[in-house]
Parts: sequence; C-alpha cells; structure tokens
Amino acid sequence: MLTALILADSRFPGGGHVHSGGLEEAAARGLVTDEPSLKSFLHGRLLTAGLLAAGFAAAAARGEDLELLDLELDARTPSPAQREASRAQGRGMLRAARRAWPSPRLSSLPASPHQPLVIGVLVGDPYEAALTCAYLAVSGPASAAVRLLGLDPFGVNAIVAALPVEEVAARAGKELPALGSPALDLLAEAHVRREGVRLFGS
Amino acid sequence: MKASARLVVELDSHGNSVVRVLRSQTPLTLVPARRVGPTALVHLVSSVTSPLGGDALELTVEVGPGASLDLRGVAATLMLPGPTGLPSSSLVRFSVEGSVRYLPEPTVVTSRAHHTAVVEAELDGHAELLLREVLVLGRAGESAGILSSTVRATRCGKPLLHQQLSVGTPSIDSSPAGLAGKRVIGTALMLDEVPRASDGGEWWNLVPLAAGGTLATALGEDVVTVTRVLDAI
Repeated sequence: MLTALILADSRFPGGGHVHSGGLEEAAARGLVTDEPSLKSFLHGRLLTAGLLAAGFAAAAARGEDLELLDLELDARTPSPAQREASRAQGRGMLRAARRAWPSPRLSSLPASPHQPLVIGVLVGDPYEAALTCAYLAVSGPASAAVRLLGLDPFGVNAIVAALPVEEVAARAGKELPALGSPALDLLAEAHVRREGVRLFGS
Repeated sequence: MKASARLVVELDSHGNSVVRVLRSQTPLTLVPARRVGPTALVHLVSSVTSPLGGDALELTVEVGPGASLDLRGVAATLMLPGPTGLPSSSLVRFSVEGSVRYLPEPTVVTSRAHHTAVVEAELDGHAELLLREVLVLGRAGESAGILSSTVRATRCGKPLLHQQLSVGTPSIDSSPAGLAGKRVIGTALMLDEVPRASDGGEWWNLVPLAAGGTLATALGEDVVTVTRVLDAI
C-alpha cells in the first residue's frame, strides 16, 4: 500500500509532471476551458485510457508475462506519441524505483517499459496497482489543468475526488481491456505536431 | 436469427483469384462478381434487415497464398433493436496468406440498438489486409444505441492492433477524451509493407503501429467528410 501511495504522490520523482495526457492540446483547442469541460475530459480519459492502463497494471501485478503484456499494450496504443509518453514515464518510474525498491523482478521488465507494467511490478497487488494507474491517468491531467487554465485547485480536486476511479480499478482486473479513445489519440499526435511553446511532453 | 457464412479464395494455375468455397445463409449473403482476374470481388449483401436484436452472424474468410480478395458492402448497415430486446452480435474472421481488402459500407447505430461486432484477422508473414470501418452514431437527430466494435489483427500470432471502440455512453461520446461529440468515426487499418509517413490534421491522423502497419483515424460530423479523409490517404 505504501508503494502505491508513493507512486501516486506528485512528489514522486518519476517525471510524470511533464505529461498532461492530452490536456494541453485539448486546452489549446478550447475543448477544455472550465470545470465542467475538465470534468468531461477526465471522465472520458479515466474510462478509456485509464481503464486500459489499469488493466495492464493489474495483469503485471498478477505476474503475467511482461514481454507479452508489453506487445499487447503496444497493439492497443496506436498513437506513437502515446506509446512514447507511456514508455518515457515507465523509464522515469523505473529509475526512481531502482534506488527505492531494488528487486530482481525489476530486471524482468523490458528495457523501456510501459508505465502500467512498472506500476504492476512495484505495487504487487492487482487491485492496488490498477487503482494507482487509474488515479495517475487523471491526476496528472488535472494538475496540468490547474497550471494551464488557472482553474481553482479546490474545484479541480473535488472533480477528481468524485471520479469513479475505484470502480474502474475493479473492472480493470477482470480481463485485459482494449478500449481505445480516438479523440485522445488525435490530441496526442496533434500535440507532437504543434509548433511553438509547449509546457508538457504529452 | 443465427447465420454463418464461409468464403475461401485461392490462386489458380492461371494466376487468377478464384472463389473455392462460398457458403452463405440468410441474412448474410455473399455474391461473387462474374469476372476472372487477379483479384476476386465478392459483395456482402444483407438479404433481410439485419442485424436486429437477437441476431448472431458469423463470417469466416480464408485467402490463400498469392490470392487477392475485395470484399465489399453494397449498402449502409442499419443496426436496429429486435422484438426480443436481446443484443445482436457479429464475428468476422479472416485468415490471410494473400491479400484482402474489406470495405463494408458505413454502419449506423440507431438508438436502442445493442450490438457487439468483432473482427479477427490472422495474417501470415507477407499477407496484406486493408480494413475500413465507418460508424455513424444514430440517424439524423437521433442518439446512438450501444455498440462495441473490436478489431484484433495478428501476424504470425503476434498482435499488431487490438482496439475496441465503444459508442453509446453519452458521458464518453461527448468527452474531448472520448469521441469529442463527433457523430462519425472512420478508421482504415492498412497492414502491408508500404511505408507511410505520420500525418494528420485537426480531427484525423495517420500513424505507424508499433509492430508494423498503419492506422488512419478520422472523426467528423458527417459520413462525406470522414470518407473523403480516408479516401485521400
């Protein structure tokens, strides 16, 4: 449980703070401007990308073959920008984990692993791993919204607290999800193509 | 209604792709075009209104080494609820050693429809597959029913794309992280050796998949716009 808390803490030095999960692009296009539109974005993200990531974290925690999971998650992530964002965050998390929780199981991960696999291996319990992953799928974009749009941190926190994160984590453990989000894929790729100043890596 | 259909296309000694097995059952009717050539053309005709709630349709397609098949729809598919209130389902299974282009016409998910569609494709080392899907969320002025559409494509057992598209949950359909409130979703999956550079615009893109192949995705307000984007790729 403590590992899950540390991984979900925004203080954790895994590099997650540079990723907005598509929120920066959505904000730049005026798709997310206020609390209601942020709530809609986070809800959609949790039930698509969040569920997918949580399912893979749970499977990794159950001890399933990590190489196979890595291939299956690639096949469920058509956007190269999203694959790279997931692997960049996986690498960052792994770097911090090697110091904090050295374990032989860490070396069974692929060289540049997807983040949900790292979470699954570190947390160990399938439900807690899924919960951590589902929460991270919305907490990063939520704090990005506070920084980018100047939204009220109390209002944004209340939105995150009301999201069905636990329900998604419980569903994620049943079978490997494959739910896509066409709009998130388009936003992720457009973010990479966008010229000019970007605060976030994804 | 439960129906299954099977189609086998092979290359003959003259280099023509010929239909060896064609077994279909109402409402899934396969109509081969009367022509001889390197590519066999077969139309998929829905001979009565289908899918209705309660229907379970299954189509198996095998294309042998060197053979080529164009499998096309003739009219838009209207997914409708049935008298029983039961969900409907369809499963299309491709086993490809040659080349297949599967181009059904757009599918309209009418309100109260509840359908699960699965396409599974297994390709051998050099097989090619083009798969296009256009989904419309409801008729004009109508909200969408529930549809789950899953595509899983593998090459020699290794996964290339596995994606489920789910429509009919208003909070996800309208989310900028779901379908962004767009009524039409088009995808074109191209599993071949043609290199294509990443490209995209506001509501469409073309991306290389991790294990080979390319996926084009377009969201829009109408079928014409989305089809035009996919045609241009």
